[in-house]
Amino acid sequence: MEMDSQKTQPIISSSPPGRISLRPMTLSDVDDYMVWATDPKVARFCTWEPCTSRDEAIKYITDRVLTHPSLRAICLEDDRPIGYILIMAVDNIRKEIGYVLARKYWGKGFATEAVRLVTAEVFKECPEIERLEALVDVDNVGSQRVLEKVGFTKEGVMRKFLCIKGSVRDTVMFSFLPTDTLK
Amino acid sequence: MESPIIFLRPFNLSDAEDVFKWAGDDDVTRYLRWDSVKTIEEAKQHILNKAIPHPWRRSISLLQHGRSLGYVSVKPDSGDGRCRADLAYAVAKEFWGRGIATAAVRMAVEQAFEDFPELVRLQAVVEVENKASQRVLEKAGFRKEGLLEKYGFSKGEIRDMFLYSFVKDDCFV
Repeated sequence: MEMDSQKTQPIISSSPPGRISLRPMTLSDVDDYMVWATDPKVARFCTWEPCTSRDEAIKYITDRVLTHPSLRAICLEDDRPIGYILIMAVDNIRKEIGYVLARKYWGKGFATEAVRLVTAEVFKECPEIERLEALVDVDNVGSQRVLEKVGFTKEGVMRKFLCIKGSVRDTVMFSFLPTDTLK
Repeated sequence: MESPIIFLRPFNLSDAEDVFKWAGDDDVTRYLRWDSVKTIEEAKQHILNKAIPHPWRRSISLLQHGRSLGYVSVKPDSGDGRCRADLAYAVAKEFWGRGIATAAVRMAVEQAFEDFPELVRLQAVVEVENKASQRVLEKAGFRKEGLLEKYGFSKGEIRDMFLYSFVKDDCFV
C-alpha cells in the first residue's frame, strides 16, 4: 500500500527552550531566595534546614552563595530567581550537579531545562570531565524524573548512603557521560 | 570451601619485610589506588605513613600475632557521610584462592560496625575486570548496587567500577 507522503510534524518538546535563563545570584535576590529557602517541603531532601529570617538569608547568601564558584539563579522572563543550580567538583574528572526550585514552580519542566543547559555547558567548558553525577534521595521522585528526562542514567540505589537531618537515607546515583546524548 | 581462621591486628614497623612481599607485588596492587612499594624501606614508610595513622587498617594473618599476609581497611566518611565507610583489602598472591580475603572482609565488617557506632553502610568499589574481588564481596554478603561508569582514576586510567555495599541489617552469606 502506498503511504501518503506527509511532511513530518516538528517535534514539540514539553518544555520549549528559552523559558528560563541562568545568572549569578545577587543580594538583591534575597526576597525571592527566601521563598524557597524557608519552605520545609523544598528543604526536605536537602542538607540545610529552612531559613528562619531575612538576616539569616542575607548572611547565607553573602557567605555561601555569592562565594560559590558555580551557583546560578534559575530565572524566568522577568529575571527573578525561582531556584538555583550548581556544580560541585568531586575530583578532577568528576563533577556533581545539584538544584533547587521554589515549590510553586515544580512540575513545569523548569528544573529539567536548567539541568539540560548546565549539563551541555559542563562538558563543553570542562573537557577533562569524564562523568557528571547526581545523587537524589530515593523518595525524591520529582527530582529523579528531571534527570531521567534529561537523559541521565540511573545506575543504582545506594542503601543507607547519607545522613540527612538525623536519619540515614537511601540515595539514587545518576550519571551523565560526555558520550551520552541529551534528551 | 571451609572458611580459614584468620586474625586481624594493627600494623607494626616490624611487619616491613612481610608487607614488602605483598605490597611490592604488582599483581597484588594492580587494582589498588597506590603503587607497589619498591624496597623494604619503602614498605616501612608505607606502614609509618599510611597503615599506622589510618583510622582502621588491619594486618591479616593466619596465626595470632602472625606474619602479615595482607590488609583490610575501613575508612569512614564524615559529616553527612558519617553513616558510611569505604572498605579496601589485599592479600599476598601465595595465599590467593583460600578464602582469606573473604574471611578478612567478614571479620572487618563485624568489627567496623562495633568500632564505629554511627556506621550503617560499608561500601566498596571494584573494577569491572577484577572478578576475583567481586566474588570476595559477594561471598561476604555484599550486594552489587550498580555499575558506575568512568567513576575514578586507577593507575592513570579512568575506570568503570561496580559499587557494592553491606548495610547493618544485612546478613553474612
